[in-house]
Amino acid sequence: MSERVAVEFKVNGATHRVSVPATRTLMAVLRDDLGLTGTKNGCEQGVCGSCTVLVDGAPARACLALAATLPGVEIVTVEGLAQGDTLSPVQQAFLDAGAIQCGFCMPGMIIQATALLTENKRPSDDDIRHSISGNLCRCSGYAKVIEAISLAASRLAP
Amino acid sequence: MTTTRFHAPERLDEAIRLLAADDEARPLAGGQTLVAMLNADLLSPSQIISLHRIAALKGIEKRSDGSVRIGAMTTHAGLARSDVLRDGHRLLAQAAGRIGHEAIRNRGTIGGAVAHGDPSADYPPALVALDAVIEAVGPKGKREIPASDFFQGFLTTALGQGEIVAAIILPPSLNQARTHYEKFARVEGDFATVSVAVALWRGGVRIALGGVGPVPVRSAEAEAELQAGQLSDAAINDAGALLVAASDPLDDVRGSADYRRRLIPRLVKRAIRAAQAKDAR
Repeated sequence: MSERVAVEFKVNGATHRVSVPATRTLMAVLRDDLGLTGTKNGCEQGVCGSCTVLVDGAPARACLALAATLPGVEIVTVEGLAQGDTLSPVQQAFLDAGAIQCGFCMPGMIIQATALLTENKRPSDDDIRHSISGNLCRCSGYAKVIEAISLAASRLAP
Repeated sequence: MTTTRFHAPERLDEAIRLLAADDEARPLAGGQTLVAMLNADLLSPSQIISLHRIAALKGIEKRSDGSVRIGAMTTHAGLARSDVLRDGHRLLAQAAGRIGHEAIRNRGTIGGAVAHGDPSADYPPALVALDAVIEAVGPKGKREIPASDFFQGFLTTALGQGEIVAAIILPPSLNQARTHYEKFARVEGDFATVSVAVALWRGGVRIALGGVGPVPVRSAEAEAELQAGQLSDAAINDAGALLVAASDPLDDVRGSADYRRRLIPRLVKRAIRAAQAKDAR
């Protein structure tokens, strides 16, 4: 019986050991314990997509994952995408395409797009729409987001 | 405020023992509903019994009799891409692929979704149409419950205190059927306004509707009409009307009851024609 649970996992390549209450979400650990506030807190219901991170390479809602259930996993947040001062191809394409408006949904969008382009090197616009359908932008700027992901795909294409 | 304790047992019997001893304890599968409820302060369980380490709840297996046993901790994504589900059984994979969004499907599980018993969710009509069986394990042991008896009302199932869904079993017979899952939702990833799961085979028809009553809706008269009328347009129209009569939809944010009644015959027709277009076995 324990009220706090010790969990060790990797975030952006670095190992972290945290002691969390049973109901503490990965999002709270990332933002409040580790200071990684790139992952945004939107709806806390898994609907908006702004807290999307990669867990063992697969997109997951950080708000719906209890940290206590994640020992040994590898997490990637938006802070983990750039190599030093060089943005990732997806991040750079979002800037170049002018896809970023208020910016709140962007970390989730960029993580989701990164996962898409890992699985699908030449996504159609329909594939892209389908992939980001769980990431809400209330600036309603999807057209440029789709352009940005297409641009990233074309730059990554061999 | 009470403090929630956390357990992640490796053995199923240990999880059952913990759950049976405390009616304020909650089992945690993929968390895509339970954690959302915790976040909204709708629940404050005394204990969370996480099932993620229990090997007996994992894996999809085709058995020698042709049935398929799907461990409760199988994720929607895992089910959607499973090559163990073939032919008629693809209906369930199709339904799994329509749940929420990719990030939700990567973590949400069939056991958790089935135990939640939401009549607008994608699995309940698919499981009823496939004549699936829910394998439940509790303090009194294991029992198998037909899907049509398992769903008893809005968010209400046949599970008793301390009992969890251990697996879903798809019988071999419906594997021979041509099947289709048709879902109408306001936006991608939403729960269904109306959904239709259909299985057609030489000897019969099974149709189950989601989103139009407290449990998946079937109509024996509609199914008999379709069989007798050999899926003619006239028979489908009659069956649509019979299914509307059998339904009991509510007005909610996903559509009015009247709108749902209008959708039923259209989606039934679309689902039957799509199932027919699939390769016959």
